Order: sequence, then C-alpha cells, then structure tokens
Amino acid sequence: MSPDGGRVATNGSNGRPVLSVRQLHTAVATPEGSFDVVRDVSFDIGPNEVLCLVGESGCGKTITALSVMRLLPTPPVRITSGEILFDGNDLTQLPERRVRDVRAERISMIFQDPLTSLDPVFTVGQVMTEVIRTHRDATKAEARDMSVDILRAVGLPAPTERFDSYPHELSGGMRQRVMIATALVLDPEILIADEPTTALDVTVQAQILERLRSEQQERAMSMLLITHDLAVVASIADRVAVMYAGEIVEEAPVDELFSNPRHPYTQGLLRALPHASRKRRELVPIAGLVPPMQMMPPGCRFAPRCPHALEQCWTDQPPHEVEAGVGLRCFNPQPF
Amino acid sequence: MKRIAARSVYTLIVLLLSSIAVFYAIRLSGGDAVSARLPASASYEDREEFRELLGLNDPVHEQYFRYMGRLLTFDLGKSLTNNADIFEMLTHHGKNSLILGAAAFLLVFVIGVPLGILAAVRRNSWADGSVMTFSVAGMAVPNFWLALLSVWLFASTLGWLPSAGCCSLKQLILPAVVLAMEGIALTVRMTRSAMLENLGQDFVRTLRAGGLSEASIVGKHVLRNAMVPIISLAGLRIGQIVGYALVVETIFGWPGLGQVLVNAVLRRDYPVAQFFSLVLIAIVVLSNWLADVGYTVANPRLRKA
Repeated sequence: MSPDGGRVATNGSNGRPVLSVRQLHTAVATPEGSFDVVRDVSFDIGPNEVLCLVGESGCGKTITALSVMRLLPTPPVRITSGEILFDGNDLTQLPERRVRDVRAERISMIFQDPLTSLDPVFTVGQVMTEVIRTHRDATKAEARDMSVDILRAVGLPAPTERFDSYPHELSGGMRQRVMIATALVLDPEILIADEPTTALDVTVQAQILERLRSEQQERAMSMLLITHDLAVVASIADRVAVMYAGEIVEEAPVDELFSNPRHPYTQGLLRALPHASRKRRELVPIAGLVPPMQMMPPGCRFAPRCPHALEQCWTDQPPHEVEAGVGLRCFNPQPF
Repeated sequence: MKRIAARSVYTLIVLLLSSIAVFYAIRLSGGDAVSARLPASASYEDREEFRELLGLNDPVHEQYFRYMGRLLTFDLGKSLTNNADIFEMLTHHGKNSLILGAAAFLLVFVIGVPLGILAAVRRNSWADGSVMTFSVAGMAVPNFWLALLSVWLFASTLGWLPSAGCCSLKQLILPAVVLAMEGIALTVRMTRSAMLENLGQDFVRTLRAGGLSEASIVGKHVLRNAMVPIISLAGLRIGQIVGYALVVETIFGWPGLGQVLVNAVLRRDYPVAQFFSLVLIAIVVLSNWLADVGYTVANPRLRKA
C-alpha cells in the first residue's frame, strides 16, 4: 500500500518523527454495517514541527486526532487497524491505563468549543490541580503555582483570580486560554489542537493562534493542528496534510502545497479561496458533494467530483505515494 | 440573592392563602366537634350552648381573624375533643413524624443515587434493566397498596418485622421504606438520566484528554454535574414525603402528625385540624423554597448571577 521507506519529516533537524501514524483505519459501526471514516491515514510529525490537517467538516480530521489520543467514542467508533507509534510504543495497543499516562503529560489536546469543553461545576484551578496531581507528585500549593504560572504565560489577565473562577465567569477567548494552559501545564511533547479558533471572534482567533505558535516555538513542541481554514494553515503550518472523505490526499511542506498543489482536490480548495493578488478572479467551487460514507465509490473517493478522473480512478483506489517529502494519492496529478 | 428574596415573599403569600382555604374547607365539610365532645343524649339546647361557647356560630371570617390573631401570639389552643394542648401534640407527634420522614428522606438518596449511578455506568446491562424495572414498579405501585403488601409479606407471612407501632428501629423499617419508595424510584431515574446526559458532554472528553482516571471523571466530575438537578429537587421530595405520611402513618399506626391530622379531620376537631394542616402546608411550601435555594447552591452558574 503506502511505501513508507525514506519518509522524512522536513522540519526537524534530526529527522526522527515524534509521532508516526501508519495506515490508520478508524470505523464507525452503524445498523447498516461498519464504515471507515478514516481510511489508510499515514503521517509523521517531526520534532518542533507544526503539521496542519486540513479538510471539510466531516472528512475525518477530528476522528484522526481522537484516534491518536485514544479518545474515540467507542462504541460505535473504533480503530480497526494501523499503528500510532509514539516513543517506541504503538498507542493503539497500549492498555487504557498506560494511555492515560501519555495524555496531558506527553500528548495534550485542546478542543474546538471552549464553551462546552470545560467542566462547569469545578473552578479552573480545581481541574488544573487535578490534572497536575494525577501525573506528578506535587502538593496543592505547587500545583497552584504551576497553574498560575502557565495561565499567566498563555496571556490570561489576572491569573491568580482566574484560578478560582468557574468557566461561566470567563469569556470565550479566556476559556480557550484556560484550555491551552491546562494542555501545556505538564509541558507535553505534542499538542493536538482541534479547530482551536473556530468558535472564537475573529480578533481573538488571531491572538490565540499567535499564542499557540509562540508556545510551540518556545517549548520546541510538536503540534498537530486541525483546521478547515487555509488562512490559519498559511500562517502557522510547517507541513500540511489535506484530507478528503477520510483519506489524506496530499501532504507537503506548506509553501510547496500553496504554490504547487498536485491533487485536484487541493487545487479545487485553493481555487475556491479569494486571493488579494488576483482581483476580480471568480472563485471556483468544487462541483458536487462529499459522498456519504455508506456510498463511497469503489475507486478514488474524489473521482465523482474530479475534473480529471480517468477510467482507472473509478475502479482502483490510488495508493498514498511519497516522493521527496511530498505525499500524494492520485493517479492523474495535474499542474496547477 | 434577589431570586431567594422574591421566593421568600411568594412563600409567605402561599401560606396566608392556604390558611384561609384550610379554614373554610374544614367548615364546609359539614358536622362539627360537638357530636364528638357531647354524649349522644345531649339536648339540642345543650349542643347550641356548646357551639356558642366555642364561637362556632359566629360568621366564619370572624372566627378566622380570631384564630389567626391567637396563632400569631403563639396561642395554639386546645383540642375540642379531648382538651389536649396542641403545642404538646406538636412536639410529641412532630418528633415521631420527623424520625419517620428523615429516615425516608435519607433512604431516597442513600438508595436512589447509587442505584442510578450503577444503571448509568452499566447502561443496557442486566443491572441497568433490573434497576429500571424496580424503578418503574416503585413509581407505579400506590403506596397504600405497597404498605399492605409489605405488612402481609414481612409481618404476617415471614414474621421478620412488626406490622405496626412505634418507635423502635424494627418498627421504623417498613413505614420508612414504603414512604421512601416513590422518591427512590424517581431519584434512580433522575440520577441515571443526568449521569448519562453529562457523560456525553464535551467536558468529559477534555477531562479524559487530561489523563484523569475514569473513576474520578465519573465519580467526581460527572456525578457533581448530575447532582445539580437532584439536589435542586431534594426539596420536592420532602413535600412528597409529607403528603404520603398521612397514609403511611395511618396504616402503620405510627403516631405522627399525619395520623393526628387524619383523626382530627374525621372528628371535626377544628383547631387541631387547622393547625396541623397549616404545619404540613408550611413544610411543603418550605421544601419548595428549599428546592429553589438548593438549585442555586448546587449550580455555580446561578450563584453570582
């Protein structure tokens, strides 16, 4: 299937990926049968690298991230095959107890909606303290100091008072900062951010992204950022993986992807973007709709919407091929 | 705070209105205490004189104001039928009712909440099925019938527990369980659905991402969230227990306020019936007020609003 040999993370200097996802398949069980919502997904994240996972809603970005964290709502959703390699272990095989040790301490995750993602009946400090003391041998006072420090570091005003606030007493942007602080307090090696700015005001979005970027650089942390916003991708990513209907269709360094996209879907996404330098150029939407998971075409999942589909595209599934750090899943790539 | 203050005023109004309602209702039901107090051979004149003495021939609103006036000076009066001091009746029978009611109230939560958690955590298992079947039965069976059934089974047939009386622990078990049953059933259902609802919330995923143990997530975070509606409605359970106490105390011969009230109404013992009706109404109204306060206390989102 996908030839993984010679795969290198482009950004990291020593090249050894921190996290390696290999041929991940995640399926949802329905009364009509089991369907892959994530199919044959492979990617690496290098040290100190920001990988953006882009795609439309429902394309499997979040499920991929939740698979890595082993936070899938099982049942009905579960990993059916593949490997998630982290620090010499396959996370898909670890017992729940050992996965818990990885969460927050080594791989953290923040979520889309800060309004519903914080426990409403506990204070910010109570939850942060519990997270710290679950993983570390810290006194309550030490945990409090750690929490206040990180709350200050992520730019939360009056962090000492906020430590004792309930989530409903904070604004959306403040809540997202609290979630980021909780995710970073144990200094993890990887941060997974699932649409961290989607639910926020535009001005707050920029601040939060900026904060994520600077924390990532200061801590030399790797980041998997999930978004559907190509502007976010352009501003923060080192590398980009484009997902369509549960598969990664193209993966490349960010400049490469924006200047020279090869997959017709990626090209379609970029043509649908307004661009300052190309005034009055009409935006071109991608024709058609994502097929429902019960009706995935047998060949390339994008074939029904692809302007360049060959006969082969309708019958065979294109493999994920990697060449010089650029991954592509297409029989008929086109110049942009 | 404003919410609580508004609620307190409302509580007072309800108490006032119900005192009027009770006063009139018991006089509308016909008959009076005279036949209970005087022998059957008493002449018409004697009966009229007795009524005059007690002020029962005065217009009802005059009787009402006179009664309320005395009530406000804490003069509760005496029973018309046996001249017993009403304040003494209150302390004596009130204590018995308090024991029974507190036992039932405790059972509602000590049994209801853990069963509800069990059903939620083991959703769709046989344990969930049995708990929910028990809960449906607990709500469907009227408690007077449950009382009779339990007397038949545990007292008459098995001989494990006494069928009636007061006030040993053994005598307390049957009436307390019967009195608590509907509350237990409701609490089980509420706990289960509140737990399941909160288990599906986004914040649970965030806590899992923080590496917290399932025990802490379910037993601390989800439970605390699920307790918001249950604590809020704890006050309503008190009201329910007070209402059912009339029936249960009578069946089990438990000498509490409920039994006193039932007897007083049957004998048209106005001062006793009025006073104890008011006491029970006050408890129900207060428990509703408590439910409101409880909601504010249990839910930090309302505290500073």
